[in-house]
Amino acid sequence: MAVSSRIQKETQRMLQKPDPGISATPHEDNLRYFNVIIAGPQDSAYDGGVYKLELFLPEEYPMTPPKVRFLTKIYHPNVDRLGRICLDILKDKWSPALQIRTVLISIQALMSAPNPDDPLNNEAAEHWKRNEKEALDMAKSWNRQYAMN
Amino acid sequence: MSSQVIVPRNFVLLEELEKGEKGVGDGSVSYGLADGNDNTLTTWNGMIVGPHGSQLEGRILSLVITCGERYPDESPKVRFQSRVNLNFVDQHNGAVDSRSVSILSHWNRSCTMEKLLQELRREMCSSHNRRLPQPPDGAMF
Repeated sequence: MAVSSRIQKETQRMLQKPDPGISATPHEDNLRYFNVIIAGPQDSAYDGGVYKLELFLPEEYPMTPPKVRFLTKIYHPNVDRLGRICLDILKDKWSPALQIRTVLISIQALMSAPNPDDPLNNEAAEHWKRNEKEALDMAKSWNRQYAMN
Repeated sequence: MSSQVIVPRNFVLLEELEKGEKGVGDGSVSYGLADGNDNTLTTWNGMIVGPHGSQLEGRILSLVITCGERYPDESPKVRFQSRVNLNFVDQHNGAVDSRSVSILSHWNRSCTMEKLLQELRREMCSSHNRRLPQPPDGAMF
């Protein structure tokens, strides 16, 4: 299957010069579909965890943003129970100047800086606002349970 | 060389989920994930309002739709939970016979759970099914 040279370039760059803690590998039979791994950031509740995600470039990419979701369960106010992510650049703040790698770096940053004021998982967001320490403990416990095997 | 874009299973199902959450068509069929925590997106609940002109008119009929690993390249498996007497439904367990329903026997990537439920609803009005006597409303398989 042919993909645009832009997608080819982005893919090569990510394979040759991966960003720290991030890997993205295209499926052999679908070069628009990537297995993604993000290491839980050191300064976060997800430290030590290995998070699997999946990313797909729709036909209109880069005019529309990539679609991406967590496959590994994560307790985070901006990620829902199905792994869908609330992040402005995946929606109305998308620009064709952004890339797959910038999206993944932003997701990594979101793991370090949960934003309970723009929640997708209301239960978790309430938890963060009510008692941040307890919410972080819960996130750490999920990290051990789901992201460390 | 084909440059056709193939949307992977999970993103097809996430799109169907979003559409289903908003509500499809006139509300005569609906569907959603059976368990909101099932991130494999495998098991779905479907609902059909029995169509006008059939013995099932006005009934709320529930079904389970199972989307396997190879969905949407392969058709889902469908089973009625509500007891219905229809020529494409196994009377022991409610399973829909894929060979007797055109959208299932001719399944392709443009088919969706919404289209499937609408076709099952239309089949209830076919000449083979519309006059069949039905078990009491609310009976389950």
